[in-house]
Amino acid sequence: MLRQPLTRALALSSPSRVAPLAARRFADQVQAQPDKVEVFIDDKPVYVPPGTTVLQAAAEVGVEIPRFCYHERLAVAGNCRMCLVEVEKSPKPVAACAMPVMKGMRVKTNSDLTRKAREGVMEFLLVNHPLDCPICDQGGECDLQDQSMAFGSDRSRFTDIHFSGKRAVEDKDVGPLIKTIMTRCIHCTRCIRFASEVAGIDDLGTTGRGTDMQVGTYVEKMFLSELSGNVIDLCPVGALTSKPYSFAARPWETRRIDSVDVLDPLGSNIVVATRTNEVLRILPRTNEEINEEWLSDKSRFACDGLKRQRLVTPMVKDSRGNLTPVEWEDAIVAAARALRDCPSDKLLAVAGDLADAESLVALKDFVNRLGSENTCTEQFFPAEGSGTDLRSSYLLNTKIANVEGADFVLLIGTNVRFEAPLLNARIRKAFIHKETDVALIGPKVDLTYDYTHVGDSASLVKDLATGTSSNEILKRLESAKRPVVILGADQLKTEEGAALLAYTQELALRLQDNLQDKEWKVLNVLQRTASQVAALDIGYRPGVGAALAAGPRVVYLLGADSGIVTREALPKDAVVIYQGHHGDAGASIADIVLPGAAYTEKRATYVNAEGRAQQTLVAVTPPGLAREDWKIIRALSEVAGAGLPYDTLDEVRERLNQVSPALVAYGDVQPNNYFAQARALAKSLQKPVSGKLDVQLKQLEDYFMTDAISRASPTMAKCVQAVLKQKTAPY
Amino acid sequence: MAGRETMKTTCRVVKPLMSTDFCEARRRAIGLYRAFYRYIPYIHKYFDIPKSESQIRSKIREQFYKNACVTDIRIIDILVMKGYMELQEIKYSWQQKGHVMANWKPTIEPRPTDFISKFLNGKD
Amino acid sequence: MSLFFNRTFGAGKFLGRIILSNKKSPIVQRLATKTDQATAQVETRPTVAKIDPIQKTHLIDFGKYIAECMPKYVQKVQLTAGNELEVLVPPEAVIPVLQFLKDHHSGQFANLVDIAGMDVPSRPNRFEIIYNLLSLRYNARIRVKTYTDELTPVDSACDVFKAANWYEREIWDMYGVFFANHPDLRRILTDYGFEGHPFRKDFPLSGYVEVRYDDEQKRVVVEPLELAQEFRRFELSAPWEQFPNFRGNPATEEVTNPSEDKPKQE
Repeated sequence: MLRQPLTRALALSSPSRVAPLAARRFADQVQAQPDKVEVFIDDKPVYVPPGTTVLQAAAEVGVEIPRFCYHERLAVAGNCRMCLVEVEKSPKPVAACAMPVMKGMRVKTNSDLTRKAREGVMEFLLVNHPLDCPICDQGGECDLQDQSMAFGSDRSRFTDIHFSGKRAVEDKDVGPLIKTIMTRCIHCTRCIRFASEVAGIDDLGTTGRGTDMQVGTYVEKMFLSELSGNVIDLCPVGALTSKPYSFAARPWETRRIDSVDVLDPLGSNIVVATRTNEVLRILPRTNEEINEEWLSDKSRFACDGLKRQRLVTPMVKDSRGNLTPVEWEDAIVAAARALRDCPSDKLLAVAGDLADAESLVALKDFVNRLGSENTCTEQFFPAEGSGTDLRSSYLLNTKIANVEGADFVLLIGTNVRFEAPLLNARIRKAFIHKETDVALIGPKVDLTYDYTHVGDSASLVKDLATGTSSNEILKRLESAKRPVVILGADQLKTEEGAALLAYTQELALRLQDNLQDKEWKVLNVLQRTASQVAALDIGYRPGVGAALAAGPRVVYLLGADSGIVTREALPKDAVVIYQGHHGDAGASIADIVLPGAAYTEKRATYVNAEGRAQQTLVAVTPPGLAREDWKIIRALSEVAGAGLPYDTLDEVRERLNQVSPALVAYGDVQPNNYFAQARALAKSLQKPVSGKLDVQLKQLEDYFMTDAISRASPTMAKCVQAVLKQKTAPY
Repeated sequence: MAGRETMKTTCRVVKPLMSTDFCEARRRAIGLYRAFYRYIPYIHKYFDIPKSESQIRSKIREQFYKNACVTDIRIIDILVMKGYMELQEIKYSWQQKGHVMANWKPTIEPRPTDFISKFLNGKD
Repeated sequence: MSLFFNRTFGAGKFLGRIILSNKKSPIVQRLATKTDQATAQVETRPTVAKIDPIQKTHLIDFGKYIAECMPKYVQKVQLTAGNELEVLVPPEAVIPVLQFLKDHHSGQFANLVDIAGMDVPSRPNRFEIIYNLLSLRYNARIRVKTYTDELTPVDSACDVFKAANWYEREIWDMYGVFFANHPDLRRILTDYGFEGHPFRKDFPLSGYVEVRYDDEQKRVVVEPLELAQEFRRFELSAPWEQFPNFRGNPATEEVTNPSEDKPKQE
């Protein structure tokens, strides 16, 4: 396993190699403040802790030394030599990324010697790099291009083109997401380091030496991981590019709009690149609190699902029972009539996975104005005890970034790797760099790191909570300084869910009470969808079971596509109104279809699993006659005679602010309290549990298609096929 | 021919550029107005536009009154200068029907104001 | 053999001289060759284009000479980007300075390559007018810069350079700078009836109006601009400025400032 050599390497090199870790301090950590050393970067003095590299010290004073192989979040390789700088009294230029600073060191980042050295490195790299920039997808965002412009020689000495030619390397097939043109590879080994350190898949490596060196998988094998797309961003040249995006656009002709991902509960920050009113690709945007600079494959590549299976026009069922396209006026009048004529206790509104906070609050207000309280979410959560009244019982209280500071992680009934890939990457980071240990209660799954498998029985949680367990995990938990307990929200669906939650709360809060660090939160519930937290904050009732049993006459589905509401469960004459953006499970049972906007097409608020509100921005206009979701509900409410009192987005957000200020505090997480109260209320629920814990997403092929957008995406379908094909391969 | 004369007047006006006092600037503005006024029949004659002479006249008046509040003589001078350039463009038929009609803006529809019509229109 | 020798031991220098030599006057080149022969040593400087010190001293000398000849008119002489000579003059000095540069025997800047405008709204005189001159005789270029605001006219250079006619019309069209004594000052690039001056910084990138052919009216109509979502966002950062620290453009150096002891004109 990677862990041992890496930690040793870490001890040898700088202590602040993983920058965000060093920056984060906890109350009980006594930070030995080492004496800082003074170094001079281009005669500017800077004070840095010993062990810092020259490159990092230069970054402190705002001098960015060019580099190819160095990356802040990966181990130092020092093999590209692009970061060579002149150090006074040193006979040769030194590699800034691997050289620790020494007292009084004088570094010249722009001297003649340094520039000459860079020129030489550039020349050597370009000798074996093909001149195919015009047909290379990296063109325009290529580090090699940029740096050869800035630092390369302005004339060529390459005259050998008819004699022996340039080096050429065969391309590899590493799956449906990554296109490889290995001739372009400059052997920076960033992809190899990413795969083994962050993704935890030791598939990539180098073979051969010198001019025969190749980066690849050695045997014919695909590079399949839920984080594989990140190597595209990491690759400084065009050796690894995005297959779905190949030959689609140049970076300077796309428009980039900052947004938030909604395909997993973490709300990763993204940049949506668009052209001609079309989403071309999605890239990660750095946010240290959530996704660092990574992005999971589903979030990155499912964007082609936004162009397929879309609802582009309002539809109403005609006399023969077929959905036929109509004008907005007709659809709204039909929907309003159905809603107005419905007895208020027979009205049910169901919010789905991808609903935004604005439409959620508008729908709830509207339904309330019609005299009904039946607003539900598809995902279940036990209402007993404190239920959803206390925010702390349904959030990731530790916060994503703090997980990497944990020293013991207990996962209960969750496969974090596929439910929240970037949270898993954090746990893996802690596992590798911090000696964190992980234990799992639930089915045995591959989490990309070693963990203690405690078992898959729910009663294990009970034993741990009551302190009667003889398992050594209990001792480890109790002695941990910063333990984290993560409960998968899927486990709460069953009848024993309430008891399981109660035990988990009991366990987590018992541990939390004994901690030195009073700020540290132990209890975490990992939701499965992007809309759930906002819906619970607004006051939706979790789960539709009870409401469906009451036999509703009108069902309003706000993007509810999980297939939980079915025709069979409804009375024969029930009218189903579906509002959403994809023709999926919800639209297929609907009588009236109102086309809404997907997350790239509206400015909307989403609250992630930590309780952090973030907003998406409009990247493209909704297709056809589709409209922003809250506006549809607002228009419908006026026609139905229960007009909502807001006309603009700002007014809706003002209403959100009234409901809960946390919903509009963009980027912030409000600290959660009332743990003790939740625990007290949960005491009565601690009934014996006996079931087995199971998770929905066990294998990689389960991960790719989980919601309306990714189900519509051909790329995701190809990924599933690739995983299945890989399983039959000999390696 | 008329155009060339205007050319000359333009240059004549240009030469000192700055009117020395407000009366002079006013005289220039009125001179421009007069030049336009005299050309109205020709505009009506040479451009195939659905406007009568009196409509053209009132439009010209309107355009002049738009700048009635300008008191800085240098700005008045620049505006007069631009006015003569515009007149020259019309006289030489450099401006076409569309350019002349742009003063009336007949195709601009008022934007919807209430929520429902904005929603149905698909415009904010 | 000798070529090989040169390539290995002074590759940079050898190539550099070829590039630079077409910029030099014969005298300068002769001097450079002499120094080469005197000091045949290994080139340690990076090969990116270097500034020729001899050419630079020539420029500085010429700049000083201009300043001495016209102390009343020349406010400042400077070198930008290492080897570009600039003369900064007040607006009323444009004609005499251009005339001098054109007709002086050791200048002979007989070509007006371009007149450019520049808008810096924060300055009291927001516009800068830049005349780029070329001397074919000496293979040299010089730049004359002056300033003005929206209402102050600049004397037209048409009498000195016929080429100025359209350039000045362009500047009038794009910036609204008025040129006095211009023979034919009118718009040159914008459409008839277009309002505003598009290169002014306070003019929006998208403009105010859009133009389309209307089928009912059977003519082109002008309507207020309505931007589709795609065009509402502008990427304003330059994508190629990856390494601002290593851009390596030499700062502007002042050659001489004859008006230093006089009260400032701006």
